[in-house]
Amino acid sequence: MPGRGAISESCRAIPLEAESRLFWWLRATIAWETLRSMLQGARLRLTLVSLLSLVFWGSLYGLFTEGFTFLDSIHAEVISLLFNAFFSSLLLMLVLSTGILLYGSMYCSREARLLLTLPVRPEAIFAHKFQEAMWFSSWGFVLLGSPMLTAYGVVRGAPWTFYVLLLPFMVAFVVIPATLGGILCMALVAWLGRLRVYALSIAAAAGCAALAWLGWSLFRSGPVDGTSAEWFERIFLKLGVMEQRFLPSWWLSTGLIEAARTSPRPEVRVAALVEAAKFLALLLSNGLMLQVIAAWLARATYRMGYSQLAGEVPSRRQQARGGWFDELLSNCGSAAGRPLRLLLVKDLRLFRRDIAQWSQFVIFFGLLGIYFLNLRSFHYNNTYASMISFLNLAVAGLILSTFTTRFIFPMISLEGRRFWILGLLPVHRDQIVMSKFVFALVGGLPACCGLVLLSDSMLGIPRTLILVHELCCVVLCFGLSGIAVGLGARMPDLRESSPAKISSGFGGTLCLVLSSLYIMAVVIVAAVPTHIAVAAQAFGGRPVTSGFIGWLGGPQGTAASLLLVAILGVVGTAVPLELGRRAFRRLEL
Amino acid sequence: MIEFDHVSRTYGAKTAVSDLSLAIPRGELFALLGPNGAGKTTTIKMLVGLLRPSRGAVRVCGCDVVKDPRGAHLHTGYVPDEPTLYDKLTGREFLRFIADMFGMPRHLAVRNIDREIENFELAEFADELAESYSLGMKQRLVFAASLLHDPAVLVLDEPMVGLDPRSVKIVKDLIRARTQEGMIVFMSTHTLAMAEELADRVGIMVRGDLRFLGTLDELRGQVALETTSLEHLYLRITASPQDGDGTGGAARGA
Repeated sequence: MPGRGAISESCRAIPLEAESRLFWWLRATIAWETLRSMLQGARLRLTLVSLLSLVFWGSLYGLFTEGFTFLDSIHAEVISLLFNAFFSSLLLMLVLSTGILLYGSMYCSREARLLLTLPVRPEAIFAHKFQEAMWFSSWGFVLLGSPMLTAYGVVRGAPWTFYVLLLPFMVAFVVIPATLGGILCMALVAWLGRLRVYALSIAAAAGCAALAWLGWSLFRSGPVDGTSAEWFERIFLKLGVMEQRFLPSWWLSTGLIEAARTSPRPEVRVAALVEAAKFLALLLSNGLMLQVIAAWLARATYRMGYSQLAGEVPSRRQQARGGWFDELLSNCGSAAGRPLRLLLVKDLRLFRRDIAQWSQFVIFFGLLGIYFLNLRSFHYNNTYASMISFLNLAVAGLILSTFTTRFIFPMISLEGRRFWILGLLPVHRDQIVMSKFVFALVGGLPACCGLVLLSDSMLGIPRTLILVHELCCVVLCFGLSGIAVGLGARMPDLRESSPAKISSGFGGTLCLVLSSLYIMAVVIVAAVPTHIAVAAQAFGGRPVTSGFIGWLGGPQGTAASLLLVAILGVVGTAVPLELGRRAFRRLEL
Repeated sequence: MIEFDHVSRTYGAKTAVSDLSLAIPRGELFALLGPNGAGKTTTIKMLVGLLRPSRGAVRVCGCDVVKDPRGAHLHTGYVPDEPTLYDKLTGREFLRFIADMFGMPRHLAVRNIDREIENFELAEFADELAESYSLGMKQRLVFAASLLHDPAVLVLDEPMVGLDPRSVKIVKDLIRARTQEGMIVFMSTHTLAMAEELADRVGIMVRGDLRFLGTLDELRGQVALETTSLEHLYLRITASPQDGDGTGGAARGA
């Protein structure tokens, strides 16, 4: 045994490079094990994700090819504006998302607590968590940006060097906002302490106000024809504010445009390539400079910031908010229904206090609401309006299905560890399942119905069609809640405590797939007769065709389709719910 | 070897640790006792560098934990109250990661990993992913990791939580053996029997104050009670003024 007092002979401080290598080894081992366990236990999910990604990539590539071909034929210079608008928006989003991810992983995670008790440099911990956060926040950019830029290269007939430079350009660009996010995060925690929430709120409010101003200024002169040259010019004049030479987004877009430049003269091609390389160097050097600043900041403030944050006393007052509503809900109604209401109140409290849940709910439905609010500006004709209204219905359903899969499906599994509480109460297990169903339904129904109503109002849809949409929406909410709760009770994972892991397992994937199929079935069954009827109106009320299709477009066909939608709703709700209830009754905990 | 020099730590308006001065020499097993919220975990977190003192300084083997955290960490092994592992690493991989972080030469790392796997009877599951471990298995692995680099100071925060009786015996024997070799053990616990059995000195904290510091015999000498069990002495010292006769106040100046 080595002597004590001085540092034992068995250990010594290791250089920074060795620390970085160790973290690389750690990430590589974890990534490999994760992939291996996915290949063994979640093949369906992996296959679905890969296939859907490929389909998504291909569709985007096709869409962008069409778009660039169209733009190239009218206003080639517009592409530069488009790139600038896209990359500068991305710049802002990457700053925020990396900052938020780093806040969670550097200051609130158990891994950070472990690493801070080891003889590791704070800048090495920052670099480790930064690389993780950068990957998580920018994979969307790779998925969206790669088909877009490839399509651009193909349309412009770019040289092979353009495709070689794509990845270095994307990586060099992403490093800048991601590092800025990290710097902001560390600075906020270290120097603004308790004010960080206010600082972030003010920044978010300013961002929203800027976006709102941009949106308002684009549409303030009333309805526009979205395909006119005048509208295009107005839009791009406004977007010109994003074309600033000091922004990395401008360096990226200009570099890419230079890299894609073609010319029969070799000296022009070489000059363009050199110009592109200069912009790449500009991006790289700035990224590296920011990395140096971030490493210095981590060395100076990380441990201090962690200590400050760990020393904050959480406010208990906020958690008591909404108590009067809980009391009201618990006490109204019959005594027989009280256990169900108490379970509902418990789930409502958990939902209210979990910012991750309600903030995502608000953000996604809020964004959808903003999109719906802008529909009026586009003046669609009746046929388009009908089609878009059904597409909007499907989108609202799809967003709801992601929430039911992510938050409702794991609810029964999460009760597993707390089952000693529920198991000892005089509550029938069916009531536990039903409480989850009612919770999901009550949460989703007003949001979806409200959004569909908003979409229809903005599109100027007739009242009868609005009723059809609202009926479909109710059917979707019932069915999606039934599928999520039923499958959650049928395939619970009682050992897992992370809702994210539960929803990403086989049961969660199946829930998402079944929910998507259910939405497609309901929307198609309701939309086809309506669309035929609208098309008939466009032809002066004459039937578009005779036979079954003609009958389908008539009043009887519409009634039959609505009946079928109702049947789909009953089956989609009752069958999974009943299966889940039976399985949950038999479940041994 | 461990020094708390007039250390205070506040959380907003609340003082978690107040003017703590304490020195623990090598080869001593020190048990920090106190009711929930007394400031034990805050003290331990300051010792391992997770929290900074609002005032004063904490030193481990002469290294200031705030000014030279890496130096202090090289001397320290830490077993937290909740074991933290990487789910997708095996036990052996986790031990290798820790050994490499402490800069242990490869041959020594391999030797010490094998030694700790044997000491804590981890061989059966050392090559399985940590996600499949029970709480007790995780705790044993964290113990093994904390002792890999033969630290001069071992910090234990509620070390026996989740351990079965056999594991408790293994840990107790190891702690005894290591302290005899000169290692300092700084332990926070609610298990009074273990403190009574193992500790050379105990400190009793109440609401951030160190109410008593000394050996059990000194404690018995200060608190005039018929019984000599640590449990009764502890309850007397930690009693609030409304509960008792204020004997705690008599011990405060220790």
